[in-house]
Amino acid sequence: MVIRVALALALFALVPVPEAPSAWPASAPPASAADSLVAPPILPNRSREPRTVEVTLTATASTVELVPGVRSDAFVYNGRVPGPTLEVREGDRLIIHVRNELPEETTVHWHGLHLPWQADGSPFYPIAPGEQADFDFVLPEGSAGTYWYHPHPHHRTAFQVAKGLYGALIVRAAHDPLPAMTEKLLILSDNRFLPDGSIQIPDAGSLEARIDFENGREGDVLFVNGQVMPTVHIRSGEVQRWRIVNASAARVYRLAIPGHELLHVGSDGGLFGQALPVDEIVVSASERVEVLVRGTGDPGTRVALQTLPYDRYIPQTRPPDWDEPRDLVTLEYTGDPAVRPVEIPKVIRPIEPLDSDEVTVTRVMSLTQGFINGRTMDMGRVDEVATLGTTEIWQIENLVGMDHPFHLHGFSFQVIDRNGVPEPFPKWEDTVNVPKHETVRFIVKFEDYPGKWMYHCHILDHENFGMMGVLEVRKP
Amino acid sequence: MRGSKGSAVAAPLWAIAAMAAVVGTVTAFGVGPDPRAPGSEATPEAARQEQILRGRQLVLEHGCGGCHGGWDNPGAEGFLAGVTSPAQEFLIGPCAWEPGAEPCFRTRPRNLTPHPTTGMGRFSERQIFNSLRYGLRPGETADVEITSSTPGEGNFPMFPKYLAPPMPWAAWRHMPDEDLWAIAAYLKDGLKPVDNLVEDSEGPPDFWVSNYTEEAYGTYPLPPFPTANEQEPPASANREQVLRGRHLVVQHGCGDCHGGLTNPAAPAFLAGVTAPVQVFPVGPCLVDPEAPCFMMRPRNLTPHSTTGIGRWTDRQLFNALRHGLRPAGYPDRVITADNHPDNPDLLAPGMVWVEKRHMSDDDLWAIIAYLRHGLKPVENEVEESDRPAEGWGGTYVDLGVGTYPAVPFPTANEVGG
Ligand code: HEC
Ligand code: HEC
Ligand SMILES: [Cu+2]
Repeated sequence: MVIRVALALALFALVPVPEAPSAWPASAPPASAADSLVAPPILPNRSREPRTVEVTLTATASTVELVPGVRSDAFVYNGRVPGPTLEVREGDRLIIHVRNELPEETTVHWHGLHLPWQADGSPFYPIAPGEQADFDFVLPEGSAGTYWYHPHPHHRTAFQVAKGLYGALIVRAAHDPLPAMTEKLLILSDNRFLPDGSIQIPDAGSLEARIDFENGREGDVLFVNGQVMPTVHIRSGEVQRWRIVNASAARVYRLAIPGHELLHVGSDGGLFGQALPVDEIVVSASERVEVLVRGTGDPGTRVALQTLPYDRYIPQTRPPDWDEPRDLVTLEYTGDPAVRPVEIPKVIRPIEPLDSDEVTVTRVMSLTQGFINGRTMDMGRVDEVATLGTTEIWQIENLVGMDHPFHLHGFSFQVIDRNGVPEPFPKWEDTVNVPKHETVRFIVKFEDYPGKWMYHCHILDHENFGMMGVLEVRKP
Repeated sequence: MRGSKGSAVAAPLWAIAAMAAVVGTVTAFGVGPDPRAPGSEATPEAARQEQILRGRQLVLEHGCGGCHGGWDNPGAEGFLAGVTSPAQEFLIGPCAWEPGAEPCFRTRPRNLTPHPTTGMGRFSERQIFNSLRYGLRPGETADVEITSSTPGEGNFPMFPKYLAPPMPWAAWRHMPDEDLWAIAAYLKDGLKPVDNLVEDSEGPPDFWVSNYTEEAYGTYPLPPFPTANEQEPPASANREQVLRGRHLVVQHGCGDCHGGLTNPAAPAFLAGVTAPVQVFPVGPCLVDPEAPCFMMRPRNLTPHSTTGIGRWTDRQLFNALRHGLRPAGYPDRVITADNHPDNPDLLAPGMVWVEKRHMSDDDLWAIIAYLRHGLKPVENEVEESDRPAEGWGGTYVDLGVGTYPAVPFPTANEVGG
């Protein structure tokens, strides 16, 4: 089927493109060809109640085809990798039953969501094998954005994610400020396999394990929604909205489409105030971006979404092929004549900056290889105490020659400056990459939910090792 | 080994190379004594000041500035501020003597001033202590008290990350606790912060674990005296002084050049050049491959009567270490301001006497007592090192090695007093 479409397109490519804008249809219909990129299915809602979404997510050990042609022993959510997508609206009540049919403890962390701490899926609430945990929380207004879910048991997150446990969670706005357009979900991940198809995880203590610990485990096979080099179609002139999730354990993607300027319109916590035209976007582990891809190419042509070299490594363990770009997705123009691009509003979603006059505390987090403020995670210890309702500045100092993506649970924040250079406009994030030897400051307000929250490096091997701390937000 | 000179020095830009034979598996050293700081908050200010001054003295004796910048001159620009020019970097691996050979790692002495983000300001004194006692990179090792040397136990990291060669921590670790704490105190509170971000050193993915073997670098603490290379001193000698000298020789890394590294049990310990890798170049060739080189041949320090220091009197050796006077060139006499030779025939800069001269008389005599009475003589004729026709005097001026005694504390680079 895909092949036939491709052949048809090859013929279309010979058809000359109309040049006069007057010949363009007024709005942009979606591309007419079927993509090979498949979005994970959306979990069906079992609830009959209004504004309520109730779903079941089951983690099991299973044998599935991850790379074409071979079967791998994997961990799956509802039978697949990536897991099904959870789709909800802001203001909805979300009820999730998580069943653990794995041979080991797990949790499911709803990465980036603002919710009661007992529902956060942090290591404090492990789900034993054979047990079920029920999550029930409301998604606040204004939280529309692209999130994801993944396990978070202490010391096992990297392993369980490597085995296949991750999926997307999309919170939609009641009134999306962007015009309707074709939307794609791209969940980026990578993995390594032995020839027999099994997921390759080095023996503890081996040099390879050592290198994985330093870099975070990277795989040579790059997946988009669990597929290798899938194709996305676009019509010349069309604008598509891509939601991109970096579900890799460590890999940083420096995304670019040669010859295409991207419109960066959103981050972890949803849309920006305005679109930012860029040639490339760096997405570190666990970050999300929303990008408008404009079909500025000619009908019938094709390009690739690439990840360009990004040197996040220490010299000792920098992979020899780090400086080679890798293709992720084929972007194929249909043969259809060009359409007129939709107008992108100048103002998308105005974001109020958090008030720096209200800041009562500045906390310094110094990151070294595997440690935060010289310590590793202790579940019995509270590292930082903050007061509910207050606003703080967190200064994340990376003291070593390797990037560390810093993630705070429960509360989205706004980066104020990077190495002293002010951020151009406020945006919502829950993870910020702190490049080697740099300092990033963000402002955060601890609203609504007291409790114990994790903050950690989102290179999963570092997190496993204990590059994580506990913030307790207490009622005043 | 020892650092090349910094950018502060005028032409000719001469650099002193690291001679680094890099070989070979997990090192486990003995459990260190309780590393608690004797001079933290509770200590009165005066005691702290004394500790800082002691730290400065040790930094000079051990020549930290030879690699970390500013030589032995606390007044020099860039003193201990880390690499500011590529000439201060080291090539570790076979490429050090054979251009292009693999593996090849570029290592960079770091900024030791207390700058909050680029220097020691990032680390606690305990982390600095742990880096000098255990060789653990402070940026990548937890700030904890280490009570074991078995990976994964007593806070010793499961995967230790060692400081890259030629950082001589295997020698420094033999300093007593209070000396290491004193160095940490000086680096944290005796120096002004200098903002200089040194690029990371390169290295193998095992972070040098397989390099720092017990076989090569010896045990910590030292093996019992005497090893096969050593002998009980005669009754006429002061045994205690000999043993102190032994400790000093190791903690000052004399064996890093003269043979056997920090391992008194190693074959040919202090016997001078016995393998080609011990010969290292000094001079302009280090920054310009076309320029001339002077080959350094560390000499035989065992008491052999015709090929070692058995040829020299104690006084001649003292004058070599305190004044750099080549023992073969100067008779046995006390050197004073009045009779110090005008244009002396000095030992080559490959011999780090400009550091060792800062050691106390007692320490120098102890070292000499050990060389003379604690070592067995080894017959090993070492060829003379190369030297410029006009001698080395001018080079020392160019290098800006500082004065003896050192400039008073505090200089413009220092705080306190
Ligand atoms: C022969 C050259 C040399 C000498 C002499 C030397 N060092 Fe170093 N030192 C280095 C190198 C090279 C590094 C970098 C190692 C690395 O990057 O792993 C280093 C690193 C360090 C570090 C780690 C700093 C950091 O930021 O990670 C400390 C602390 C240190 N040296 C202290 C000292 C002290 C104190 C002395 C004197 C007692 C000294 N060094 C003498 C070469 C030297
Ligand atoms: C960085 C390398 C290096 C280190 C470390 C070093 N030396 Fe030397 N040493 C040399 C070289 C090279 C020579 C030969 C210099 C020359 O011929 O001008 C030398 C010469 C000497 C001499 C003169 C011997 C003679 O027969 O002429 C003595 C004595 C000596 N060193 C003692 C020591 C002692 C004691 C230590 C430790 C405190 C030490 N050295 C550390 C490199 C080193
Ligand atoms: Cu990290």
